[in-house]
Amino acid sequence: MKNPAFALRRSASLLAAMFALALALPCTQAIAQDDEDAEEIALEEEDLACLECHDDPKLETQLESGETLSLHISTKAFLGSMHNENSCADCHYEIDIEDHGEGQSTITSKRELGVSMGDSCRDCHKKKYREYDDSVHAALIAEGSKKAPMCADCHNPHTVKSWELAEPEAAMPCGKCHDKIFDAAATDVHGLARSNKENPAPVCSGCHKAHGVKAASLGTGLKDTCLDCHKDAAELHKVWLPNAELHFEAISCPVCHSPDAQRRINLRLYHGTGTSQQQLLEKSGVPQFLKRAKAMDVEGEGLGDRELIALLKQFTNDADDGKTVVRGRLEVTAGVDAHRLAEKSKAISDCKTCHQAGAEPFQSVILTIAGPDGRPIRHDVKKEVLNSLFSIDSVHGFYVLGSTRIKLLDYLLVLVVVGLSGGLLVHMTARWLFRRAREKRAKDAQRDSGPK
Amino acid sequence: MYKLYIHPLPVRIWHWLNALSFLLLIFTGLQIRYAGLFDVISFRNAVILHNWVGFFVGANFLLWLGFYLFSDKIKVYQPELNPKKYFPAMFRQVYFYAYGILRGEPNPYRVTVYGKFNPMQAMTYQIVMLLLLPLQFYTGVLLWDVTGFAAQIDMLGGVRVISTVHVLLSIAFVGFLLSHLYLISLGHTTFAHTKAMITGYEDIEGEEPSAAAEAPETR
Repeated sequence: MKNPAFALRRSASLLAAMFALALALPCTQAIAQDDEDAEEIALEEEDLACLECHDDPKLETQLESGETLSLHISTKAFLGSMHNENSCADCHYEIDIEDHGEGQSTITSKRELGVSMGDSCRDCHKKKYREYDDSVHAALIAEGSKKAPMCADCHNPHTVKSWELAEPEAAMPCGKCHDKIFDAAATDVHGLARSNKENPAPVCSGCHKAHGVKAASLGTGLKDTCLDCHKDAAELHKVWLPNAELHFEAISCPVCHSPDAQRRINLRLYHGTGTSQQQLLEKSGVPQFLKRAKAMDVEGEGLGDRELIALLKQFTNDADDGKTVVRGRLEVTAGVDAHRLAEKSKAISDCKTCHQAGAEPFQSVILTIAGPDGRPIRHDVKKEVLNSLFSIDSVHGFYVLGSTRIKLLDYLLVLVVVGLSGGLLVHMTARWLFRRAREKRAKDAQRDSGPK
Repeated sequence: MYKLYIHPLPVRIWHWLNALSFLLLIFTGLQIRYAGLFDVISFRNAVILHNWVGFFVGANFLLWLGFYLFSDKIKVYQPELNPKKYFPAMFRQVYFYAYGILRGEPNPYRVTVYGKFNPMQAMTYQIVMLLLLPLQFYTGVLLWDVTGFAAQIDMLGGVRVISTVHVLLSIAFVGFLLSHLYLISLGHTTFAHTKAMITGYEDIEGEEPSAAAEAPETR
């Protein structure tokens, strides 16, 4: 059944529809044909008219950018797609049939075509589009990115099928840009489970949200996603892990579950008072974080303890109330490592991986602010900051037994033990040296107290 | 020389349980803080044992507090509030341990049933038992459940502040233990004070005073 919302628009552009699909979007995914479905759907005459020309694999046009744009629309694939009940003009309503197909295309590049067609998607997929508008991908496009994906980069509108029907590994479009992560995820514990069809292991969008995707190293969204499926994880960890809730709060899951990963400490900037602290956002248009951090970090070796204090003070002074602080988190250094999750038995459970001086994750420390586009902006911090007495306030919310201990307290312990032991030894020696005097005094006292 | 019963049974039980607990807490605390430097037990077991022993010390503290609150022996912890009396007595005691004891001078303080602590001990034990130990227990409890007590920890300056206070107090307790172990060897024999904490009877030099002199008011 046709969507009645488009009836008027379609009737006004019946002829236009003949040419509408000429500006078909590039084919970005291959989904198997479904002949049975195709037979059940009957195309309108105007759509058939479009396809009469466009169902030609050789139909293509040259764009100003030098790219070749295929104009081929497979009737069979379109009928098997989720859009098969829509008419060509539902999306390509802006086409003027008077000159369609004549002369040079006004489209300059595939990218421009994708941007211009976004509005058509928005007409129906309002909720998804709102999510997308809030995503890191949309933010990148707003910044002028030529690579960040738009609708058609993931969903070929002429062949699109439900993801539930798609074979996950082959059909996920994320791999086009995130190829290394994509390959890693295909062979990690989730990827193998999907291959073996053992359980409904997540595909990319299962954790990252297909449309509202955010930067993975900001917020706690991804951890919540893990716990959405692994609902008993918190309880299972409590059985063997002391202070399990704190570990859940301060450590990202792959830190332990991706045993070969390289790890680091991410000090994230927050601002506010008490429990109302929010992750600090870099100001749009007047970026200050990197400017200030670089000004402090004169030698370019990372911020030291005093520089970090000064930087936090500057951000605190920006606001009328509240205080800028850092919250520490252990995370994997590279995104690809977060997609090399091992099976449970191989996860790190040796506390000393983190809880000892010089532990690997504490060799790399960064300071992060959330950028206006939703991506993290980072600056290096010297690892010694975590062991400094001066960090007692600036890094007050992050302390790891053994590895971030304040060195000055170690020296104080040695001083107390050595000093006291030495003092007592001196006293013992003095007592030994004075033993004659004591014996003499005791004899004198005995003689004096004796019978006179 | 005469014997005086100055350590009642509940106090002796508390003392030895506390002594054992202190040793365990210091050992596990060092193991937690310096994992990798020495590994007698695993980090995880050290944390678990440290937590359990810490709570036991808290419960044991209540035994100590209960005994003294509900007996007239609480007199031994009553501070001398008159500085004109306290400081001269304190300095006499310091002089004795620093020099007088070397020459065999008699201890300026005479132990009684209601006054078993000399001025140095009285000051030290008041600080240790009524300030440092409760503070150490409190910071320990906060560190035991950092997320559960997040609001309190944040109010007090953060987990790093709490941890630093906990470690500073630990260092103070290590110092206390070293001093205590040495000072208890300074009786008329090396183990006289240790033996007294087992039997309850302390050997006191000199003539036994009359019963009236032992009354609580005399302290």
